[in-house]
Amino acid sequence: MHIAEGFLPPAHAIAWGVASAPFVVHGARSLTREVREHPESTLLLGASGAFMFVLSALKLPSVTGSCSHPTGTGLGAILFRPPVMAVLGTITLLFQALLLAHGGLTTLGANVFSMAIVGPWAGYGAYRLLRRYDAPLMAAVFTGAFVADLSTYCVTSVQLALAFPDPSSGFLGALGKFGSIFAVTQIPLAVSEGLLTVLVMRLLVQSSKGELTRLGVLLSGRKERTGAGAGTGTEAVAR
Amino acid sequence: MLPIDAAAHSSRWRRRHPVDKAVLGLGLTVLAISLPPWPGAALVLLTALAVLLGPAGVPGRRLWRAYRVPLGFCATGALTLLVQVGGPGGFVSLAADGPARAGELLLRTSAASLGVLLFAFTTPMSDLLPRLVRAGVPAAVVDVALVTYRMSFLLLDSVRRVREAQAARLGHGSRAAEWRSLAGLGATAFVRAFDRAARLQAGLAGRGYDGTLRVLVPQARPSVRFTAASAALLAAVAALTFALRSFVPDSF
Repeated sequence: MHIAEGFLPPAHAIAWGVASAPFVVHGARSLTREVREHPESTLLLGASGAFMFVLSALKLPSVTGSCSHPTGTGLGAILFRPPVMAVLGTITLLFQALLLAHGGLTTLGANVFSMAIVGPWAGYGAYRLLRRYDAPLMAAVFTGAFVADLSTYCVTSVQLALAFPDPSSGFLGALGKFGSIFAVTQIPLAVSEGLLTVLVMRLLVQSSKGELTRLGVLLSGRKERTGAGAGTGTEAVAR
Repeated sequence: MLPIDAAAHSSRWRRRHPVDKAVLGLGLTVLAISLPPWPGAALVLLTALAVLLGPAGVPGRRLWRAYRVPLGFCATGALTLLVQVGGPGGFVSLAADGPARAGELLLRTSAASLGVLLFAFTTPMSDLLPRLVRAGVPAAVVDVALVTYRMSFLLLDSVRRVREAQAARLGHGSRAAEWRSLAGLGATAFVRAFDRAARLQAGLAGRGYDGTLRVLVPQARPSVRFTAASAALLAAVAALTFALRSFVPDSF
């Protein structure tokens, strides 16, 4: 769910842009440093951005029978880490606004804050926390994707409630209104995205161990409980 | 290529400098959210529509296909303003000024969307991205965005083909099969993206790649006349809004 073009009043649009800016600038600096040290990273990061863009274009069957699309923030954060996701997410949201008329330029700051900053950080935090307590890789991946998806929508609810407080009950009433609408649709979608992310990660562990190791998701040299069932154990451990 | 970008490449204003089109298109968007929705956003909407279908030469059908997406989001979002939580009418009741607020929001978002569409339908990404370096965006970020842009089309094409192949093998026959196919699609996109990146790297290394992607950008200079005319149009819309506000009611 992106906030559509022109949906936020100017003051809110500017405020969310200002709130997002330090994270995006920090991400851009990390990316510039990385590219300066390893010029070949440009292509890898570009490929990652394209992957995120394509991932967000996949249609996800939802429990209610309708279709939605994954935010991809959880998988992106696990694969590429949150600082890089702030930049890749901003690029993806810019492309979505200009190439798909999805989201907007005046709401870019707000969408970046929810989808490219809070979602990845919350999802990555949940993933790392579970990994620290030695949870199976796939359980951590599911939780990371679920939390990233849901936190994105929680922040979007807050952004909308701040912009459109309820005439009777103010901010809290509006938060309940937007939150309950999202809860009905987004909790099943967050579960769906978590399941999809686990399925994608299972395939990646089997087929792209090299890339996952290069990205630092897997470290070679240790047997790992993936939690993905028999026959998919891998000599790796998540960072 | 995606429909909006394809239309931008064949646009009548393709050769104009992006700054010219940004002043007009994004200027209209800024006006749409800054002016009072009634009658300001309505005037912006009419102006943007007239420019899109007139001088910019965007085909009406293409515009509608792109415009209905944000319009759907705007309408869904505006519906929530029709109700209020708590108050004398019960836990959830119709808000007294709900229709007016929803109408204003709908006007504002639909007008703002048209402004961005005016820019998007006339400015290909390949013209815009390399010029962002001059706007202060780090060159490394622009390079990554360029690779992302070019690789997105290849990946989208790959995904479409994989999806067709999956459908031909009854990969969407049941809910379980659909999930399996979708997971395969996501993983294939990842593998192909990294495979392409590795092959691009090998190809560029053979051509002396030093970390900078040099691309040809069509030569164009900002037109003072076009920019001045755009600024005059924006000023006229703003002036007309405030003039009309003394004749029309504050909201509808």
